[in-house]
Amino acid sequence: MESGGFGSINKSIAMLSLCGVMLIAIIYGFVAYIEPKPTPLQGFTAPFVFGKFRVPDDNPLTQEAVQLGRRLFYDKQLSGDNTVSCSTCHLQHLAFTDGKARSVGVSGKTLDFNSMSLANLMWGPRHFFWNGRVDSLEEQALAPIQDPNEMAQNLDDLIDELEADDVYPGLFRSAYGKISAENIARALATFERTLISADSKYDQYLRGELKLSAEEELGRKLFMAHPDVKVSLRGGNCIDCHSQFLTSGFNAQFDGFSNNGLDTEALLNPGLQFTTGQVTDRGKFKVPTLRNIALTAPYMHDGRFTTLEQVLDHYNEGIRVSDSLSPLIMEADNQPQDAVNIRISLNLNEEEKRAIIAFLHTLTDHSFITEDKFSNPFDADTMPDA
Amino acid sequence: MRKLLSMSVASGLLLTGAAIYVYQVSQPGTVRMRFDAVVGNKPLVFNDARYSNPGGAGMFRIRDFQFFISNIDLHGEKGVYRVPDSYYLARFDNSSTSYQINLANVPRDWYSAVTFSIGVDEVANGSIMSVGDLDPNSRMAWNWEVGYKFLLFEGALIDSDTIRPLVYHVGFNENRKTLRFNLPEEVAPDSSDALLFTVDVLALFTGKNTVDMAALPNVKFDRDDARLLAGNYGTMISLTARP
Ligand code: HEC
Ligand code: HEC
Repeated sequence: MESGGFGSINKSIAMLSLCGVMLIAIIYGFVAYIEPKPTPLQGFTAPFVFGKFRVPDDNPLTQEAVQLGRRLFYDKQLSGDNTVSCSTCHLQHLAFTDGKARSVGVSGKTLDFNSMSLANLMWGPRHFFWNGRVDSLEEQALAPIQDPNEMAQNLDDLIDELEADDVYPGLFRSAYGKISAENIARALATFERTLISADSKYDQYLRGELKLSAEEELGRKLFMAHPDVKVSLRGGNCIDCHSQFLTSGFNAQFDGFSNNGLDTEALLNPGLQFTTGQVTDRGKFKVPTLRNIALTAPYMHDGRFTTLEQVLDHYNEGIRVSDSLSPLIMEADNQPQDAVNIRISLNLNEEEKRAIIAFLHTLTDHSFITEDKFSNPFDADTMPDA
Repeated sequence: MRKLLSMSVASGLLLTGAAIYVYQVSQPGTVRMRFDAVVGNKPLVFNDARYSNPGGAGMFRIRDFQFFISNIDLHGEKGVYRVPDSYYLARFDNSSTSYQINLANVPRDWYSAVTFSIGVDEVANGSIMSVGDLDPNSRMAWNWEVGYKFLLFEGALIDSDTIRPLVYHVGFNENRKTLRFNLPEEVAPDSSDALLFTVDVLALFTGKNTVDMAALPNVKFDRDDARLLAGNYGTMISLTARP
């Protein structure tokens, strides 16, 4: 009886522990595999004049992803030695550029390129970096993290660090599920997609809310026209490459890449040729957005110009000829061309150059550079070892 | 009894088959149109000065060539099917130098002719909405006060050691050309090969009036020049003769 009693107790213990193990397994399975149900981003709008945009099906815009992406964007933990975040080279008050001719990251070595503004990235060329070498923001995001000169971080180490963090496991769980390189990239891309600049003076003018000054209006007209002496139309031909509403390059294929005459054949940087392998693409670069251009000096892929005056002098009288130079630049002239000797110049006068610069200043969007939602979240809450 | 059963099964099957067939032939399908580009009697090769200036000295190269095809109508036995939002930017910078349009959901009918325009209609040309391939932030847009380029040709004319840029941007409402093609045999959705067209880029300079590129290296806003080139591009598309 006693031994029988012991036997049945043993049995029940065994049963109980089995149940326990199963329960734990079920709970674990539940927690691990439960699909997060993030909230679609509310009140997300963009001007219709920007045109259609695409958000990848596997990375919808959700509040949780934006919140996570914003934190990651500003977090120095993303670099190997915890000194550099994305925002080191993409500062909000400079429309997400860094004010340097060429950026500097963890290695202290000057990079080859000028930092790029991150405004309105869902429109314009669907190829990123000056030479267009990546096709999506998701793909782009992991590049600077791993680049030995920019952030020099090993992705597995980064995932370990984020897993050990107090806040990230929860943020990832509600946005995507688990912490992975893929989800880090998705979150960063999502935050970047929300960086929309659409409240400059030019936007207000387009919405009919105000008039431009006479000088700005002259500049706008010149910006928006390819010159034609035959019909006495003066123009700066900027619109030949910088689209009318976005002011960035065109989105179809590689139409948004061009050679705007910065260098002679011998000095040409490969540019788009690096990406396409085509000789005819040598020296072509991404046509950047001009939104907030008054804030994003120095200019061009290598930051060679420090002022907009220098930029205008370049387009007006500083064009260097090479084989891939845009025929639109070669041809655009406000004075009749001499058939034999073509000296490339827009032949704009000083007043016209100033007017174009005045128009470029209407592209500055103060709400973009002060918007709370785009700002450093660590400034607001308590930042561990900032 | 057994005979009856098998007969009813057989007729049942037959009826279902017939129903499926009737259903299928009443379903809309796809009609494909393919445009193959040539330059006179030569293939189209970009960025190579291999073509002679049709009206003068020098050789020219083509860097870019694209144009709008719009308002496609298919003329069938039951009536005209107007393809909705049909604004297509034809471009040929691909390995087969051809451009294909797949018209989906075309009503079942036998079609004997197709019409479409080179260029875009007045309403679309005055709008900044993105419809089909129309995009006010694209390379084909001049600006919202002027409208769209209907056809874009950019390149260079090379004569001994001078390189002249060639820029032909042709637009304006009056330069939309509507073309009609009577098909050699009627086509039905899904049942036929693509409709084949040949686009002769050279016709832009030879179609009705021969152009000397050195004398007219660019066409933009001058109405007479634009009309001249539009008259030429009105002749550049033909049905490809089948062997
Ligand atoms: C050390 C400075 C530096 C850091 C850190 C940095 N960037 Fe950049 N960023 C640049 C430079 C320079 C470019 C242009 C580089 C090129 O074209 O090769 C660029 C380009 C980009 C672009 C392409 C924009 C376009 O229009 O094509 C995006 C997007 C971007 N960065 C996002 C990020 C994100 C996200 C992070 C953090 C994970 C980050 N950057 C960290 C300097 C930096
Ligand atoms: C043929 C195409 C083309 C035309 C025409 C053109 N641009 Fe650009 N623009 C570019 C390209 C390409 C770049 C980037 C070049 C580089 O860095 O290598 C650029 C860069 C710029 C920059 C610097 C942007 C930055 O973030 O560094 C400014 C400012 C600018 N353009 C203004 C203008 C103005 C104003 C006009 C008209 C007077 C104009 N552009 C005409 C293609 C063009």
